[in-house]
Amino acid sequence: MDAPRVASGMDYHSLNAMLNLYGPNGEIQFEKDREAAREYFLQHVNQNTVFFHSLKERLDYLVEKEYYEPEVLAQYDFAFIQRLNDLAYSKKFRFETFLGAFKYYTSYTLKTFDGKRYLERFEDRVVMTALGLAQGDEQLATDLVEEIIAGRFQPATPTFLNTGKAQRGELVSCFLLRIEDNMESIARGINSALQLSKRGGGVALLLSNIRESGAPIKQIENQSSGIIPVMKLLEDSFSYANQLGARQGAGAVYLSAHHPDIMRFLDTKRENADEKIRIKTLSLGVVVPDITFELAKNNEDMYLFSPYDVEKVYGKPFGDVPISENYRAMVDDPRIKKTKINAREFFQTLAEIQFESGYPYIVFEDTVNKANPIKGRINMSNLCSEILQVNTPTTYNEDLSYNQIGKDISCNLGSLNIALTMDSPDFGKTVETAIRGLTSVSNQSHIASVRSIEDGNDKSHAIGLGQMNLHGYLARERVFYGSEEGVDFTNIYFYTVLFHALRASNRIAIERGEVFDGFWDSKYASGEFFDKYTDAAWVPETAKVTQLFADAGVHIPTQQDWQELKASIQEHGIYNQNLQAVPPTGSISYINNSTASIHPIASKIEIRKEGKLGRVYYPAAFMTNDNLEYYQDAYEIGYEKVIDTYAAATQHVDQGLSLTLFFKDTATTRDINKAQIYAWKKGIKTIYYIRLRQMALEGTELDMCVSCTL
Amino acid sequence: MTLTDPVNSAKNDPAHAGGKIKLVDHVNAINWNKIQDDKDLEVWNRLVNNFWLPEKVPLSNDIQSWNTLTPDEQTLTMRVFTGLTLLDTIQGTVGAVSLIPDSLTPHEEAVYTNIAFMESVHAKSYSSIFSTLCSTKDIDDAFRWSVENENLQKKAAIVMEYYQGDSPLKRKVASTLLESFLFYSGFYLPMYWSSRAKLTNTADLIRLIIRDEAVHGYYIGYKFQKGLELVSQQERDDLKDYTFSLLYELYDNEVQYTQDLYDGVGLTEDVKKFLHYNANKALMNLGYEPMFPKTVTDVNPAILSALSPNADENHDFFSGSGSSYVIGKAVVTEDEDWDF
Repeated sequence: MDAPRVASGMDYHSLNAMLNLYGPNGEIQFEKDREAAREYFLQHVNQNTVFFHSLKERLDYLVEKEYYEPEVLAQYDFAFIQRLNDLAYSKKFRFETFLGAFKYYTSYTLKTFDGKRYLERFEDRVVMTALGLAQGDEQLATDLVEEIIAGRFQPATPTFLNTGKAQRGELVSCFLLRIEDNMESIARGINSALQLSKRGGGVALLLSNIRESGAPIKQIENQSSGIIPVMKLLEDSFSYANQLGARQGAGAVYLSAHHPDIMRFLDTKRENADEKIRIKTLSLGVVVPDITFELAKNNEDMYLFSPYDVEKVYGKPFGDVPISENYRAMVDDPRIKKTKINAREFFQTLAEIQFESGYPYIVFEDTVNKANPIKGRINMSNLCSEILQVNTPTTYNEDLSYNQIGKDISCNLGSLNIALTMDSPDFGKTVETAIRGLTSVSNQSHIASVRSIEDGNDKSHAIGLGQMNLHGYLARERVFYGSEEGVDFTNIYFYTVLFHALRASNRIAIERGEVFDGFWDSKYASGEFFDKYTDAAWVPETAKVTQLFADAGVHIPTQQDWQELKASIQEHGIYNQNLQAVPPTGSISYINNSTASIHPIASKIEIRKEGKLGRVYYPAAFMTNDNLEYYQDAYEIGYEKVIDTYAAATQHVDQGLSLTLFFKDTATTRDINKAQIYAWKKGIKTIYYIRLRQMALEGTELDMCVSCTL
Repeated sequence: MTLTDPVNSAKNDPAHAGGKIKLVDHVNAINWNKIQDDKDLEVWNRLVNNFWLPEKVPLSNDIQSWNTLTPDEQTLTMRVFTGLTLLDTIQGTVGAVSLIPDSLTPHEEAVYTNIAFMESVHAKSYSSIFSTLCSTKDIDDAFRWSVENENLQKKAAIVMEYYQGDSPLKRKVASTLLESFLFYSGFYLPMYWSSRAKLTNTADLIRLIIRDEAVHGYYIGYKFQKGLELVSQQERDDLKDYTFSLLYELYDNEVQYTQDLYDGVGLTEDVKKFLHYNANKALMNLGYEPMFPKTVTDVNPAILSALSPNADENHDFFSGSGSSYVIGKAVVTEDEDWDF
């Protein structure tokens, strides 16, 4: 499906690219992008869409030819499906940008098996997603269509891409697996990585438990080759598996900062790393406890501990032993072999590697575990560093069958468009519909090939409601990102969302008479979780934010509201072990015309490259030539304001938030270290990528290019 | 490839043709604490920060995409890259090295050695692309084509001739035209593919090369302008005439080379606009007014936007490393940073 080459006139790619070139009067040419979207439909989409005379004919054909799952449709009367279809089409949906339309038709919509013609429009995909998620519940299906077509709720890519299709991957996006310190577990981890990639997920694996290079095997010294070969195996596995060719498998690995192989782990991302140890496509994450910061503060050495010895002494895997609490004892314990590096040098190396590669992600282990309301320990995150859940190990018999199936993590995501949710006629209902949609994905997911994932999901029903378009919303309301008002809004918004998310999960528990496994041991059941909401009043601190909520007609929950919710939850429980996680929202924010996640924009006109799209240009949501001053980009805004904004949101989110930090290339490793320290002090849970922007040397830049100007 | 391979025999190597390159006859230790021209340090730092190796780009992710190209498109792509390999080889083994003896400052010499090395990295990068995407036979065929194509060989011959001439400033003109103009008939294609969502990782690698060449062309052009300040008005006029006539000669040849390559896929006219645009850019680097009017430099915006040498592209982890990361400046943290 190539764009036609137009000899004289402009094809849609060229029109879209004009977004990145200033017009004759120095203005951004937004209208060229709208023309590009229009031409895309005229030149390409309309000509390649299969026509049906009626909905009935269309559905019959798609079921007969095995494009749609008949079970999804069989849950409803045809008359209802027709009404739902009419409802969706009555909303007159239009894509706001070229990239939105292009992304949707390239990556999401149902195509004929030869890949040449389109079988769905956006409305059809929305209806099918709603029908699939509602599982026969007409009211929920109707609510979901209302929320999705209005753009308030957008399910994550795997759900929106796959629901209702007969030939499809899973609806879940994201998996986290433990690996234990034995060959059975390592091999199972690789097998699971293959299986899960095949089904379309990103997979993260915990390496902290694996014994270091040079550790003994069967008590013979200097036998183990450590974690690097495992990383190599995983990297190759991920590039082998892809989801029906739709995209490459992608994976991440997490390692404790106090694992003896930590420096080797980081060096795999060095620009001049030897090919044998270089890791190209695997993402890295480091788990950093509070003690590491304290050691750096005192400019002390930091000890690295042999996981092999620690497991023998403590009777549990290295990753499950809280380092901060046990650090001094472990240093003094002669049974544990240890090596040392300088703590500040460790942080500096971390920053150097981040400069060169953007990696590793960082998990602030103690912050995460203090904020965790669920019993158990969190020792890793996922490919986007927003999933934070407890896990337990799996053990194997000699014939490789399961001895005891532990609990691994899966999470399905979907995000609210903050601007449109604030515009919602019923804020609470928007949140509740989203929670119900996500819960349904969890209920429908069965990953039989990885039993620890399947069992984990059945027990926890964990979901992750995300948010996007924060910067777009703030700019639309003429509030600067990261300003006092911007942070104030973020705080109250996330506070309000949390209330409705918990209430929805409580309602589901009441309806189903079922709570997640472990609820009664949680801080929800003990009531401790609610103290900060019942003991103090959460209200806007600025007049502007008070006004924004008043104008939008959004009620801010009171202490009284929390008292009632607490009572109901302590009595009936909640259905979902986890409720919120704020992902980076790449693709879906383009379709949804949002700024990504709760980040500031990376650029007024974003240059987007993806395997399937090539280079495409995307204007920030709600931006016009009249409000450009509110669209400062992340590099101008600086890390403090980004962290302040995330810190405000973090206190109301049970899991994590993907936080990317942006630096100009004049930054040094010290600046990155300062940002890490600031983030840790502010109670941030995880740091995702570090991104650097290098501007063209003066004299070599393109004239007239929007993304080249500061 | 064996040593007897006529295509790769050392005696056919441009570096060996026409006698020895002149070397500097006297060397003093370079003192980087005494900078005569701030531009030297600025460019040195930029080049060092931009250092990269082809191994960092996951080219193998393009194999699927490569297989969607028609055989004609594949042949075109390989020929384009062999052409670029030849130019980068010249620039690495002869061009940048030949500029060293003419340097105005000792730091300029050091910058040229960096440029020479990176040009060799570029030349090797194309081999990485080849070995990832194509078979040995196809690679050999493409290299044979590059030896047999008259226009490509002529292009190389013209530039080589000026590198061996005795005028330092003419060498800089030739070098700038090579860096800022002659490469771009080749660069067009990967940018075109990437705007069509094909070979996007290869395009990332090419964009890294473009990022370097933009700095090289700019710097050599700048040094040319510095050199002009030291000569008489008469010589300046001569050099300007010389520059424009060399550009005409190269342009005529480049148009034919472009036709050889791109007629088959119907892109020639579009590539020519791109040549005009970059010819103007090369002249600008040398401090001259543009030669082509705006009406013939209206490059396809998709290509122009793709060219931007900034590292500002957004990508996800499913799609390769992008061309954005640089080697950072390490600075130790102080006690005050750890004040919590």
